[in-house]
Amino acid sequence: MKPHLKIVACLTLTVSAAMSGCSKSSTRHATMPPAAPAPNYFKVDPATAGSVSGSIRYQGPRPARKPVDMSNEPACVDANHGKVYEDSLVVGPHNALANAFVYIEKGLEGKTFAPAPSPVTIDQKGCWFRPHVLGVQTGQTLQIVNSDPVTHNIHPMPQVNREWNHSQGSGDPPMNHRFTKAEVMIPIKCNIHGWMHAYVGVLDHPYFAVTGDDGKFTISNLPPGTYTLAVWTQTLGDQQQTITLAPRGSARVDFTFHGK
Amino acid sequence: MKLRFGQSTCARNRQTRSKSRVLHFAAVVLPALSGIVLPGCERNVSSKPTGTPVTIATPLGLPTVPIPVHNPVTADAIALGRKLFYDRRLSNQSTLSCASCHLPSHDFSDPHRISLGFHGAHGTRHAPTLFNAAYLPSQFWDGRAASLEAQVIGPAFNPVEMDNTAQGVVANLEKDPEYPALFQKVFGTPDITIERVENAIASYERTLLSGNSAFDRYEFGGEKTALTAQQIRGLAIFRDPNRGNCAACHTINAHYALFTDGKFHNIGEGVDDEGKFDDTGRFDRTHLASDTGAFETPTLRDIAETGPYMHDGRLKTLDAVIQYYAGQGNSNPFLDKEIKKIHLSAQDRGDLVAFLKSLTGNTPLDEKPAPERAVHP
Repeated sequence: MKPHLKIVACLTLTVSAAMSGCSKSSTRHATMPPAAPAPNYFKVDPATAGSVSGSIRYQGPRPARKPVDMSNEPACVDANHGKVYEDSLVVGPHNALANAFVYIEKGLEGKTFAPAPSPVTIDQKGCWFRPHVLGVQTGQTLQIVNSDPVTHNIHPMPQVNREWNHSQGSGDPPMNHRFTKAEVMIPIKCNIHGWMHAYVGVLDHPYFAVTGDDGKFTISNLPPGTYTLAVWTQTLGDQQQTITLAPRGSARVDFTFHGK
Repeated sequence: MKLRFGQSTCARNRQTRSKSRVLHFAAVVLPALSGIVLPGCERNVSSKPTGTPVTIATPLGLPTVPIPVHNPVTADAIALGRKLFYDRRLSNQSTLSCASCHLPSHDFSDPHRISLGFHGAHGTRHAPTLFNAAYLPSQFWDGRAASLEAQVIGPAFNPVEMDNTAQGVVANLEKDPEYPALFQKVFGTPDITIERVENAIASYERTLLSGNSAFDRYEFGGEKTALTAQQIRGLAIFRDPNRGNCAACHTINAHYALFTDGKFHNIGEGVDDEGKFDDTGRFDRTHLASDTGAFETPTLRDIAETGPYMHDGRLKTLDAVIQYYAGQGNSNPFLDKEIKKIHLSAQDRGDLVAFLKSLTGNTPLDEKPAPERAVHP
């Protein structure tokens, strides 16, 4: 069939109300728009789920943590009863590295996980974001609290999600926010108090952890499989390791970061 | 008989009423047209004051007060307007006067976040100061009234404010034996009409001027010691587009300063966590998406005395206001670009607050009238 004949054929079919092929738009109008598919959340089998745990350590010089100067906001000084030190590199006993964000980077593709129903809270207290590093699932509520006597301002600066900025006065009710896309990490700052920083890792699954002063982490209820486990640190870069988790297995993975 | 019930006289100022009020008005008034003569709507009653126009003296730092041709300011009109301003009979059941929410003791604004209206009803916006309202190109936070005259009676008819009606106002005033004589003195005949009430109160409001502040004496009076060193630093920050950027909207001209551009800006105040506005502000009038969440720039005259702040009175102190701006507003799709240019250190913020305290005028005492006379219907 020559091209112009095809066109004629299409027109003819359209006019005669034949819906397939040439007049898809008519077909769409004629039927109800497809409803958003109900989320088909992956169900973890507790009989086979395992866990991965380990420690994050630091080797290298330990620069003295710098005190933070809050003198230009007296209410912030008063709230702290002493010196506050910046927390970009926090090393605990036995070289334990705190504030490392550990997460499954690869291996969960194709699975959709329900967002955790309870919110994750970040508090602005003592003119400091607490915690400094946190994780949240896509769709999970990040609850933002201001416990201080001053106005704060929370300003996440994502690359993938929508950037936003909102002031929160003293005594204002908590704000609630949800991130829609996975993104590791999103820096957060306070436009008013330049020393306030936090980092939030957003993942579309619940398999992440933040190390405390002991440098330890545990990620549990993980289906068996092969994964890339990644670690984000604020100043020491990222590392990855591949792990294979057998049914009901418990993998042990340690990381060491080196300072300059 | 020449009926003037039409766009020009009785229907002109009804824009501010709710639908229910319009229906109520229609139900009550329209049948009445067939038989009963309505006060204010039945005759060609002039609303133009007939006395000798006076010049309103302007304090240092303010320009000449604009006066509309149809409503020249006379001494008698100011006096009548002042009396009406404090008269609770403008409201339903004589509960509230203009001064109930624009308190002279609070520099003609309201210390409440949202004013209490008829029987405790709440509106949604904070009652702003009336100082220097005479210079604004439009009135109300959303600019819905083009003049003081058009603004005056809006609150009287608003169900969540004074909750009255045109005939209610006129009937109340007619009960007072003093008023017909006063109206005669101002307008030449004793008729009491809504338009006359509007004109008289507008004339009074034109006298509510705030100037000759420490800032004015420094800036326009050559008195270099009128401001403290901290206030002078604050003024520099106020003007600096890369720091406070305040003067981008709160304007200071070469020979006077109104501290408002009379325009509408979205500063992010009032937006929720999801980026939406309960009160869409100027958008209500223009239906332009870019006007969403925009409100008319308020003057900063007497700002230290007129808290709480912002269109919804959400911010209690000047410190909170400056901290809010230091945070560069709340993000939303229509945030004014000027907000994003602000960079304030803590010292800048303190200096700005100190400067704002220099904007309190020394309004002559005779412009702050005696306390409201108790009126019992």
